Amino acid sequence: MTEPGPAQEGEDDLLAAEYALGLLPGSELAALARRLEIDPAFAKAVLAWEERFAPMAEGYLPQDLPPNVKAALDRHLFGVAGPQKAGFWANLALWRGLAAGATAALVLALVLPLQRPLPQAPSTVMASLSAEASEVHYMAVYDASTGMVRLAHLAGAVPEGQVFQLWVLQGDDAPVSLGVIPTGATARMAMDDRLRPMLTSQSHLAISLEPLGGSPTDQPSGPVVALGDLQEV
Amino acid sequence: MPFDTAPEEIGALILRVALRDRKAFDALYAATSAKLFGTCLRVLQNRAEAEEAVQEVYVKIWLKADRFAVTGQSPMTWLIAVARHHAIDRLRARREAAGGLDDAALEIRDPAPGPEAMAVAADQNRQLEGCLGELEADRASALRSAYMQGDSYAELAARHAVPLNTIRSWLRRGLMRLKECLER
Repeated sequence: MTEPGPAQEGEDDLLAAEYALGLLPGSELAALARRLEIDPAFAKAVLAWEERFAPMAEGYLPQDLPPNVKAALDRHLFGVAGPQKAGFWANLALWRGLAAGATAALVLALVLPLQRPLPQAPSTVMASLSAEASEVHYMAVYDASTGMVRLAHLAGAVPEGQVFQLWVLQGDDAPVSLGVIPTGATARMAMDDRLRPMLTSQSHLAISLEPLGGSPTDQPSGPVVALGDLQEV
Repeated sequence: MPFDTAPEEIGALILRVALRDRKAFDALYAATSAKLFGTCLRVLQNRAEAEEAVQEVYVKIWLKADRFAVTGQSPMTWLIAVARHHAIDRLRARREAAGGLDDAALEIRDPAPGPEAMAVAADQNRQLEGCLGELEADRASALRSAYMQGDSYAELAARHAVPLNTIRSWLRRGLMRLKECLER
């Protein structure tokens, strides 16, 4: 990689401004949000722009919220008993939020099914999987107490006659297959005892494009279309 | 009165939220939810959707409160940025799912800085307004509506009836001049 010149820095600063203002299409904002997590210089530039525009926020007039909003929030976040106990994954309103591609909504949707207070859930790790050169975007959550990886497919269709395969990587070790991702907006994949110890915040996940049935070898045979670090929730 | 809560108190509440202090979370909600709801509502222009969005914003705040300390931002700036970005993500998804621009996106939505902004007399805002005032009026107004309402390049291009690339290079030049002016 060549050293970033002044031209590249100028371009990055403009992208940071465009991200801070939100001028770009949703997919580009999502890619930049991902970059924000891994590129401190870019993150700093975004913060600087947010600071510059911050005085305009005075124009946002406070509006009173109905009390049921806080009640619903507490129920979601802390599992306080509420009237609504519908199966979470069947909750269309939430999936509408998910389709919105909004990270917070994803975090919400993927964390909520745990149905217990977050402080007691240190064994949960999650990753946002994407790559600059691809449209594919998944969110993945692994809950060690159930041994289950839950996936939300947010963007980037599977090409006809192919499949997405999920991999876990630790350090410089070769990728280990977690299996072919079932199609659909959401998917669950059970992890066996061999795989479970690998799903920690020290690892990252990757998705490759493979022929039907998955990679013919024990390594990815097609391009990696998305990847992301596992992080503790 | 919630709006009287001092910034340093809000900052302290966020840090306690990072330590999973629910009382602090309740107090933070009481002190800031009206402002963040106002933010979501201005961007989304729909009460029911803004109510959903603000809930998700507080989930995000609960989960990401530990990030606040490293940003070095003022507490309200951080909170409003979380809310704005979330509302804009929802807005983009809604409009892109609708197959492009909806009618609301094309409406001319008060390009002037609204009465509420006029009432603000903070020095910082005067400086920003002064620098926006040095730009061509239509560019300044596009930057304002991008910030306040989450308008995208595509929406601004349609509203100003110019090609996407043109509006992008206009606003990029505007952004650079704004930065220079603010750093003077």
